Amino acid sequence: MGATFVITLREAFEASLILGIVYTYLEKIGARDSYRYVTWGGGLGLLASVGMGVGVGYLSGPLLDLGPDLIGATVIFAAVVLLTWHAWWMQQHARSIRGQVQHQIEEARATQRLWLVGLIAFTGVFREGAETVLFLWGIMAQAASMNGWGNVLGGVTGVATAAAIGWAIFHGGRQLSLSKFFSVTTVFILLLAAGLFSTGIGRLQGLGFLPMGEPLWDTSFLLSDRNVLGSFLGGLVGYRARPSALEVTGYVVYLVVAAVLLWGRTPRTDSRRRHTAIFPG
Amino acid sequence: MTKTWMSLMVGLAVAGAWLLGGGVLTADAQTEITLTIESNRFQPEEIKVKGGAPFVLVITNKDKGPEEFESHDLRIEKVIPAGKTVRLKIPALKPGTYRFVGEYHEQTAKGRIIAE
Repeated sequence: MGATFVITLREAFEASLILGIVYTYLEKIGARDSYRYVTWGGGLGLLASVGMGVGVGYLSGPLLDLGPDLIGATVIFAAVVLLTWHAWWMQQHARSIRGQVQHQIEEARATQRLWLVGLIAFTGVFREGAETVLFLWGIMAQAASMNGWGNVLGGVTGVATAAAIGWAIFHGGRQLSLSKFFSVTTVFILLLAAGLFSTGIGRLQGLGFLPMGEPLWDTSFLLSDRNVLGSFLGGLVGYRARPSALEVTGYVVYLVVAAVLLWGRTPRTDSRRRHTAIFPG
Repeated sequence: MTKTWMSLMVGLAVAGAWLLGGGVLTADAQTEITLTIESNRFQPEEIKVKGGAPFVLVITNKDKGPEEFESHDLRIEKVIPAGKTVRLKIPALKPGTYRFVGEYHEQTAKGRIIAE
């Protein structure tokens, strides 16, 4: 039971963090009415996961060899782009929003296409969703024959715990002021996305599209990325016990590029634009 | 800013296509090594390969449930549905030991590839 708990916790943790971020974000900007985008996005992500979980059973040959991996890699990089975009947007507004001034929030809502957070929810759930579905399906099938309901319970509890942690983290985030929440979440998303980006690079290495190389270091004796803490850090900041040089490079380059993208522009440009908007001409 | 994002996406797509093309084009006849999953165990549990030469791992899942062939060392996570066979191209490995597990049954499904 313990083993299945850790597996589903590990698989569902990242999705739960992402859902936590976008739900709380909508709440913070007073757009509860847009929760449906996230709910739909997450729901469709779940459906797509079930679809893919069932679908791979019908694939064979080269389609099965490569198909799911290519979809997986695409989803990872799509999630990185979407999250970066979201972080960029929040960073722009973290600068201008001081406190919880209503008209500024209205303005913020108007400039953000809120359905895009639905897309973020979709990729977040879909990324490891199919694996989780297959895993749970597998242990349920076995439970019937081998009396392994403890495993099923463990698996389901793992998903529930991941959801609870995602909820708790961002429920706590509600106490922060809007601009602080935006700043903290921005950094948080960037680390998450950097971890995803290096995971994507690792996948491409595993598929042979990028050269593998030896691990740059090995900290598995300190903290394995397979236990609970290691997998949490894996989901949060992309911790790897034995990263390849390319994964580390990708992680750092992503953070540098993202930081330039987000903080590179002078705030003056932004305030001038805002100024013209209020006093046209 | 939208333009920047669009060019970023286009760039990613082009890079992806290039990588994909490269990966598919380099496919040629390679040594095949068979690995079977049965009763939530790998058979054989130790695979010896020549270092520096790519090979193809042909994994067949004979169990009734799906299994995920996972190797952090090799950066591979691959679900193999019940009764299916998957061919994984493994790039040339430097001499060393590369561990893998069946993620869905980690206690029993363990193995390693030893590149010499």
